[in-house]
Amino acid sequence: MPEQQIPNEHQQPVVIIGAGHSGVAVAAGLRTRGWRGRILLLDAEKETPYERPPLSKELLKAGAPDESTLLRKEKFFLDKGIERLGGLSVESIDRSGKAVILSDGSRHAYHRLVIATGSRARALTVPGADLPGVLALRTKDDALELKRVLVADARVAIIGAGYIGLEVAAAAAARGCQVTVLEFQDRVMSRVTSAPVSCFFENIHREKGVRFVFGAAVTAIEGVGRAEQVQTADGARFPADVVLAGIGVVPNQEIAEAAGLNCKDGILVDDHGRTSEPEIYAAGDVTRFTSRIDGQSQRLECIQNAMAQADSVAAHITGQTPSEPEIPWFRTVQHGVRLQTAGVRHPDDDIIVRGTPADGKFSVVYLRKGRLSAVDTVGGLSDFRPAKKLIAQAAAIDPALAADPSIPLTGAALQPSY
Amino acid sequence: MSNNKVTVVDREGATHDLEWEPDQTLMEALRDNDLPVLASCGGTASCATCHVFLEKDVFENLSERSEDELELLVEAEGYQEFGSRLSCQVDFSQNLDGATVTLAPEG
Ligand SMILES: Cc1cc2nc3c(=O)[nH]c(=O)nc-3n(C[C@H](O)[C@H](O)[C@H](O)COP(=O)(O)OP(=O)(O)OC[C@H]3O[C@@H](n4cnc5c(N)ncnc54)[C@H](O)[C@@H]3O)c2cc1C
Ligand code: FES
Repeated sequence: MPEQQIPNEHQQPVVIIGAGHSGVAVAAGLRTRGWRGRILLLDAEKETPYERPPLSKELLKAGAPDESTLLRKEKFFLDKGIERLGGLSVESIDRSGKAVILSDGSRHAYHRLVIATGSRARALTVPGADLPGVLALRTKDDALELKRVLVADARVAIIGAGYIGLEVAAAAAARGCQVTVLEFQDRVMSRVTSAPVSCFFENIHREKGVRFVFGAAVTAIEGVGRAEQVQTADGARFPADVVLAGIGVVPNQEIAEAAGLNCKDGILVDDHGRTSEPEIYAAGDVTRFTSRIDGQSQRLECIQNAMAQADSVAAHITGQTPSEPEIPWFRTVQHGVRLQTAGVRHPDDDIIVRGTPADGKFSVVYLRKGRLSAVDTVGGLSDFRPAKKLIAQAAAIDPALAADPSIPLTGAALQPSY
Repeated sequence: MSNNKVTVVDREGATHDLEWEPDQTLMEALRDNDLPVLASCGGTASCATCHVFLEKDVFENLSERSEDELELLVEAEGYQEFGSRLSCQVDFSQNLDGATVTLAPEG
């Protein structure tokens, strides 16, 4: 990188709360973009910052090491002069004094503050939800606890058929557990995908012995001293040694709210990641923002978003232009079968099934007013990159061509639209 | 094991010399030395943002590409049958000392 004149401002301290995907990416991005000042990366967890996706995938496999991939090696933080302080949580933000206060009472001054506190698993609120044996999955400790109890023949009740619940269901089934998934909706992953994909994954799970109960409203967890069964609204009871709640996440916005920042189920940020306070930024799962694609207010709980917002923040703090963000994308792997989605689908998008689900490899193409909005690829990745490109262009698609898997997806685009 | 020295040609055509440490994949060596490699999948052959071109003789010494890797690469801009790799799938090897690595276009 060419040596440039370094503005004085770039010698000032930046404090980042949260060393997850977004916090680490802000710290790294600031250094890449030439920030010379102190960078203090705080996290309530003591661990070297790690990836979350493996927690419900590789880590739960029998014989797999009790480790997740590190976001960066410890040496990286040393080499880049990024100070990490783990094991202490930020209790409050002193806006007028421009400092954060930690759980040990220490104060750390900032010139710019970045809130990257992520989200936490939504807690079950039914009676008995606090019994031992009722688990959630967000951190590495959660994953290790789960791994300990997913023993052969354990009866595992999973509440919620979202991707985390289903990844755990797959891992548990592979470890010989008896798995029952209780879901309020009438199909799996209903929030993130369409019926053909739901149906395909439900079948894979059933083949591996996973039971599903749809339309299930959990009303209580019962047991003496620990969870023993799950009760649903129709009076049915499901015996369980382990209960896992995978019912979504809530943003960790409390310290921001207490500091008077505008929040509404997420800290509100603009395209640059700025909060309502000019010196404070936020990135990742904790934010709510207006989609550039459809103008809707949204939270996006995925790594693509964490990284894209982190880049916007690092760029804005250093007075530079952010990189072109990746199209939102997401992946889940269940029983070794991958579902990877590019774009964000709406429930009322038109859908085209591309290929034959029975072959174990197909895509679902989502069109909004004739233009490509999202693509799910199942069991393969050929359509993933073309999908990202065409979604970025909001390409108009010929439905008949898109339905033919022998034609590359790009061949179904009517004409490039600029 | 000592570090590899590799030369990286970025997307603007500028060259950078960097040290590739034995406990890093090629993607990590690029990313952690400030090159614009997003690696949004954390090195799991899913995002294809770590696509690089290697010289043919270097390429031919590497292990086979997995089906996932190949499916992502074939659809990439500028795909080279005997040069394209996802750098997260390239582990450290002393055979790669002195190699030239060219960042593929994004998208
Ligand atoms: C099991 C699992 C699997 C997933 N799989 C995928 C996947 O395959 N693909 C995908 O795109 N996404 C996946 N996700 C979602 C993805 O992990 C999140 O979108 C991503 O972690 C968001 O990054 P973040 O930096 O915003 O938050 P986080 O990664 O949650 O990091 C926030 C950090 O802030 C810390 N913190 C919070 N409050 C405080 C405080 N007051 N003081 C100090 N520190 C604090 C927390 O300890 C935490 O380390 C998965 C999530 C889970 C739990
Ligand atoms: S880092 Fe995502 S494919 Fe290599």
